[in-house]
Formats: sequence, structure tokens, C-alpha cells
Amino acid sequence: MFETWPGRIWKAPVRPVPLRGMILSITNNFLRLTDTLFALAVSFLVTLISPGGVVLAADPEFFDVPFANNQWNIGRRVDDSKLRYCIDRRNPDWELAAEIVDAVAGALLLEPQRYIVKSEIVGEDLTKTYALLLEHCDILMGFKLIPGTYADWITLTRPYYHAKYTYVTADPDLLTLATLAPTRAIGPIMGTSAHIRLVSYVKALPAEARWPIYPMGTSELMLESLLNGTIDVGLIWAPTFWAKRPQDPAYAALHVIDSTPLPATTLGVGALLLSDKVFLRTAFDMAVTSLIEDGTITDIIDKFNFPATVNP
Amino acid sequence: MDLTTHVEKYTIRWALKMGNSCSLYKFIARKETSMPNNSKIKNIMLLAAMTFGISAGFAVAENSTIDNVSTVTDEMLLNPSDGDWLMWRRTYDGWGYSPLDEINKSNVGDLRLAWAWGMSPGGRTQETPLVHDGVMYLQNSSHLIQALDAANGDLIWEYEYDLPSGARTQGVRSKAIYGDNLIIATRDARLLSIDAKTGQLNWNKQVADYKKGYSFSSGPIVANGVIVQGMTGCSKAQPGGCYITGHSVDTGAEIWRVHTIAQSGEHGDTWNGVPVASRHGGSAWITGSYDPDTNLILIGVGQPYPWNMEMAGLAPLRPGLNNDALYTNATLAIDANSGEVQWHHQYLPTDGLDLDYVYERILVDSKFNGKERKQVVTIGKIGIIESVDRTNGEWLWAKETSRQNVVLSWDKKTGEKTINPDTIPVAGETTFNCPADPGAHAWQPAAYSPLTDALYIPTIEFCSNTTVNSLDPGEIYTGGGRQTYSRVEHPDGDSNIGQVRAINMTDQSEMWQYRQRAPITSSTLPTGGGIVFVGSMDRKFLAFDDTTGEMLWSSGKLSNALESFPISYSAGGKQYVAIMANHKSGLGRLSSITPDIQLPPDNPATLYVFALPD
Repeated sequence: MFETWPGRIWKAPVRPVPLRGMILSITNNFLRLTDTLFALAVSFLVTLISPGGVVLAADPEFFDVPFANNQWNIGRRVDDSKLRYCIDRRNPDWELAAEIVDAVAGALLLEPQRYIVKSEIVGEDLTKTYALLLEHCDILMGFKLIPGTYADWITLTRPYYHAKYTYVTADPDLLTLATLAPTRAIGPIMGTSAHIRLVSYVKALPAEARWPIYPMGTSELMLESLLNGTIDVGLIWAPTFWAKRPQDPAYAALHVIDSTPLPATTLGVGALLLSDKVFLRTAFDMAVTSLIEDGTITDIIDKFNFPATVNP
Repeated sequence: MDLTTHVEKYTIRWALKMGNSCSLYKFIARKETSMPNNSKIKNIMLLAAMTFGISAGFAVAENSTIDNVSTVTDEMLLNPSDGDWLMWRRTYDGWGYSPLDEINKSNVGDLRLAWAWGMSPGGRTQETPLVHDGVMYLQNSSHLIQALDAANGDLIWEYEYDLPSGARTQGVRSKAIYGDNLIIATRDARLLSIDAKTGQLNWNKQVADYKKGYSFSSGPIVANGVIVQGMTGCSKAQPGGCYITGHSVDTGAEIWRVHTIAQSGEHGDTWNGVPVASRHGGSAWITGSYDPDTNLILIGVGQPYPWNMEMAGLAPLRPGLNNDALYTNATLAIDANSGEVQWHHQYLPTDGLDLDYVYERILVDSKFNGKERKQVVTIGKIGIIESVDRTNGEWLWAKETSRQNVVLSWDKKTGEKTINPDTIPVAGETTFNCPADPGAHAWQPAAYSPLTDALYIPTIEFCSNTTVNSLDPGEIYTGGGRQTYSRVEHPDGDSNIGQVRAINMTDQSEMWQYRQRAPITSSTLPTGGGIVFVGSMDRKFLAFDDTTGEMLWSSGKLSNALESFPISYSAGGKQYVAIMANHKSGLGRLSSITPDIQLPPDNPATLYVFALPD
């Protein structure tokens, strides 16, 4: 009936420090065998009931200035021969991003050191990246270049690819948004740049010509809503749709439609750094430019059949 | 070094740590010092002393303060001892008032530090200690639960709940005590029952999946034998929003669930036609109050998510539909045993500015228009006090406090507000609103004193240039409620951002107002001694005369901002006042407009306890 979860308990009667103090001082002065046996007995008792604990990272709530647990104890890296980078398996492009940053490291004659974020948390605040950038990596891959979005404590590299938000439907006869009847609903992933552009367009229309817009909290909910008919068209980050589509045979029924009359919302994707990593950012940017020019990044994108383009 | 002296020092020190009277230790130590200088005999005696000492240590501890802790009954919760603080706001009516009067206007100037206790460093918490029969219970940000001797701060027991990786390592604002157990809410959306005497875990109940964002940031209230707990964090992967649940005190099993967002068909469609799965928000992130006469929990619900109405699907309003977004920014009156919602009142429909009405629910019986009314009073982020008849939800009155430009007027019969359209954020524009998103009044609740029939309200005055922003930088890592708030001082302000206001409950007149540069960051604590205590962002704990507003005492600068809930209690026949120093969220966001107020970078968390000298 009861669920269990690990916990640790400690009670006052045994106090490790005073006891150890007593034992040590007695040992040093007079007692020999008896005090040693006594010390062993007490130590055993202390060990039995001493508290334990884990150190976990903090996660600020909408903080202007981020905070990482024990941030003052993390220290600074000393090995400058490595390019420490993080990739997050929850990002649709994480494998592709790893290949790109490995190529960047090669171009900079650095040894790539990968840290894979394996969390199962559905969504996290941007400030959570602070702890990652302090503890595990200098570069965190996979962030859209959106003006006015990032606080002063972080900065972005130049984009290594561009991707767009796409309109998706399960209706085989629907080929363009322009022919979607105003009675049919659109479900954008909530709060995205493409969502704002859609709302701005819709509210400029006469009331009777507006599509209902149902914001979707997750891509899973959006795809499910497309299949069950709650919405007729979804609006999703193309790399996410690319990653999700093979995961469920039912998604094969979904197809991308033309966004006309709205222009496509296209965003560059780069890597995140702490804002004081000026030299690394410059070097990373130069390496990406070089890898775009020599076709390396294009080759990686083509290899994955990834829905993105590269711009010089 | 003389062994006798050495051992005596340790044994007595240990004995003193173990309890007030460790006569066995003292007896052996005295006997030992009077013996001839024979080391072998001394050693045997010392070993005997140690052996007996350990036993005595256990015995003393087990028969000391903790063993005098009595079972918390329903009657105790209804009429708590003056010296106890048994729930978030001490009493079911949410007054946050202590009747203790040893510390009063004539002697508060002599107040000094009695003891302090370092809590888990670096985390963020807004702690409300509980005190029962001289034992204080704390929840650290690391979810280390501790029982302390409230008279001297000695640790009695501690229990560490291991938060799973990825859950927020932050505190929870409050907890409950019922029967022989503490009821603890966790950041990973669990409820724990812990034996108040031993720290042993009784049961552990998962209420929701923290990986989807569900969390508890405030703790439960136990009403008529039912644990009532509000859920928060419902901004993305929680189709249909948050909920409030009732649980068995014996097992934690869920008895009932009330959705804080109207489900299909409830009160028609108040969500602009948006299906339930696309409705977000409605976090119940502050503990409610309880009216035993009606067996109703009075609890607040937060705003819709995202904050921007267009992002939330609430705008533009579709023809023939309603976009009030029930039950956001409302009071829900819920039967404690059945979970049935008896009535609701929504203060701010269609909120597009993150202006929660989720905070304190203060139950006061007071005259309105010449008639005695059972009122429930709350204050939203806009800083407007509003009163509703708590028996039926009828709106009664409102009183504006700090400067704001969001509400232009309100209907004097219904409370329905006219919103300033210039303050509503829309894509492509920057709008100017006062207050900014943390609110003129925030999670730091007001308190009510029956001595003065007054509410004591912490408020702040500031504004924001607000821009709708597509905060989707990453697919996983996002930011806030999808609006950017650039906070500034009020253009007509005097740079005094923090205020304490005393408002008479009968005629809603302002009795006094205190203003200072630093934001007020704690709840208020009125006492039977005619004092109102409050904490400040500039690390000071202040005491005011409850009738005049004269500052009677100020602490020295403490370790951190005082973002928490001060309490007062008695232990060993002596009155204490306690407050925790820590820099948390909420008004911590004001640091962007008060860079002159420096706080320590390592964010220490410290409990301070003050008392009069012996």
C-alpha cells in the first residue's frame, strides 16, 4: 500500500564529533587495548546511524541571475587542450550536433570531450544551463538565435545550421495553409517564434476569418491532437518533427504543408556559452565558417537527412 | 594533560548537549575527580563513565524536550496553545498572528539573538518553521527535515529525503503537523508522513510525476482530518493544468481531486474554445485557509500560462465565446472531506500579466455596511485588497494599496474590474505596467491582528516595460512565461520600493504606512505585545508599533535577505521570534532595480531566533 523512497534518518543521542574527540584524547593519554576496543564499538555505532546525503543541482525559478548549487566550489578547468561540450539527448538534433562539434574540435586541434545530458525532465528553465556550463562543458549545443531572448550571462555562437517551423497535417488533401477553412484549428507548440507570428497574422484577420488556435504544451500532445482530430494543422520545429516521425507508425500519415500565406519562420541554431568565453566563441565561429565553406557541415546534415540548411 | 580534567570537560560538555540534567555524568565526574591519582582505577572509572554515559545520553535525549511533545489533535489545531505555531499561518483563519506578549512595545528594544542555525547552503527556500511543545521543525532546501530544541537550537533528529536527480533542490514554504506526525510536501510532488518524535518515515505518497514539471512549492494544511495539498508547475506538459488534492492522514491515499482549471462543460466554456488539454496554469502554489464552521478550505489559484493571453489561446476573443479562464486568479471554497467546490470567486479574469491572486486567504468576521459578515480577504499581485463573503462567495469590498495602472476601476457591487487596455501585452509592442510581474504584493502574506483590527501588508512599488517574447531558445530549455519584463522604479515614486501598510478592516482606512528603499521581503508578524515584525531585503529584521507604525527595533544586518515567514513561539516559558534569512525567487527578482543592495554570492540560509535577555 505504501510507496517507498530512500531517506536517511539521524537522531541526536550519538554525536560523532564529541565522541571522536573523547576517544582520541583518551587514547593519546592513557588507554591502550580497552580504549581501542571502545573506540571500535563506538565507531561502529556511529557508522550505523550517521546521516548521509546527496548533492543535487539547484534549479532557479525565472531568475535574472542564475545559480548553481555549490557554484563557488566548482572551480576552473585547467586542461585547455580539450573542447568540453554538452549535448542533450532530449534535443532532436543531438547526434548531429555531436558530429558537428567534433568536427569543430578537430578544426581547432582540440580533443573533444563530450558530456551527454540524460535527464528525463520534459522542460527546463534556461537558467538550468548555468550549472551545466560551470560543471561539465564550455559549449552547450542546440540553441536558436532569437534576438532579445538571452540574458547577459550567456552568449551564442554563430549558427551552424538554419531550420524552420513547419505546418503539419493528417489531411491528405490539405497542401497549403491558404486553403484551410477558418473553422479548422491550428495547434502550434506554445510560445515559439512561429506561434507569435501566427497569432499576429490571425488577429489581423476579420474575426470570422480567424482559425481557432489551440496552444500545445509538448510536441507529443500536438502530434496526438493531429491524429485524434482535435486540431487540423500543427505547427512544430522541423527538426523535432524529423526526430519524432520515425517513433510511431501512425505519424507516417502526417505530412508537411506549405505555410502560405505566412512566410516560413526560419531560425539559426548555434551553441550556448557563458558570456566570458569570448576567445572560445571567436574560435568556434571561425571554425564553423571554415567547416561550412569546405562542405563538412553540409555533409553531416545530408548524412542524417536532417531538415536544415547551412548559410555561409 | 590531566585526564581527569579532560574527561570531565568532555563528559559534562556532552552531558549538557544531551539534556538539561545529566546527573549520572556529573555524579561520576565528581566522584572521579575526588579519587586518588591512580591511573588504572581512573581508567576503569572513566570507561564505566563512558559506557554509562552513552546509555545516559540516549536516556536523557529520549526523555528531554522531544519526549514531551504531545499528539496534535483536531482540537489543538482549532485552538492552538499560545506558544505553538502548528501550521503555515499559525491558525486556520490565516491570521499569522501570535498572541504572545512577553515581548512588547516597552521592551522590544532589548531584543537580541538567542540562537541561530545554519540551514542547507546555496539552495533557495522560504521557510516557515513549525513549533510544538518546545520543538521546532524545519525543512531545508535539500529536503533535510530537522527537529530542534526551540529553546536553544540543539538538534534532536534529522531525516533526509533524497530528492531524485532533476528535481528542484529548493525548499517548500510550509508543512503541517497532525497526530504524531509531520506532513511534508516535496519538490518532486510527494507527500511524506514523518514521526514528529523520531524522524522515522511513516509513509511516502507520489502525487504526480515531477518529470512533467509537477511540483509542490508550498505544503499542506490538515483540515478535519484530511491533508489538503495544492499543485504547482503546470505550465507545459500538464494538459488541463493543476489541481488540489485531499489525502488520508493515515496513508496519504488520495481522497479527492479538484482541478484548478475548468474542465469541459464546467461553467460553460470560459477558455475561448481552447480544449482542456491546451489549458495551462492554475497553479495552487500557496497553502489555503480553513473555516471549521463551514468545513470549507479557502484556497487561491494562480494565473493562466503562458502569461501572455495570445500565447495561452485566450486572445483574440472568438465570437460568441468567453475567455475568463476559470478558475485562474480565483478563490475556491472546497469541502474538506468531499472535495466538492461550494463556490468560487474570480478576481482577475483573462490575466495577461502574471498577476496572481493565489496568495493568503485571511478569514475575518467584521462589519460591512453595518452588518457582521464572515469574510475571506486576499490581496493579489496588483496590491488591491478584496473581501468576499466566505459562506457564499459574494464579493464585498476592495481597497487599493500601492500604485498600480492595470485596474482602472471596479464595480462596487460585483468587484468586476475594468482593465487598462494599454497595459495588456501584445506581440510587437512594449507595454508599461505597474506593478511589474513579481507584484505589488507577493507570496509574503499580510497578517491580521485582533488587537487593532488591522491587516499588516508588505507591499512594493515598481513597474515594468513588458515585451512579448518568443522564449523558445531551446527545445527543452525555455524561459518563464513568455514575456520579458524590464523592471523600473515607479515614475512618480520616491525610490522607496518597500512598504508596510496597516489597513483597518472595518472601514478600510490606512492607519499607517512605513516606506523604505529596500523591498520588504517577508510576511508580517503581529503579536499580542503590540508589535509587528517584518523582514527586509537589506538583511534587517524590523519591529513596528502596531498602532502608530513607529519603528521600535531593528536587528543588525543578518546573513542574507529575509525572504521567509517569521513566527513567534514560546519554549521553556520564554517568548522567541524566529525568521529565516535566504535569497529565494519572487521578490529576489527586484535585485535588478536595487543593485545597491548587496547580498552574499554563496546564498547562505540561516535561521535566526531572537528573545529578550534572561
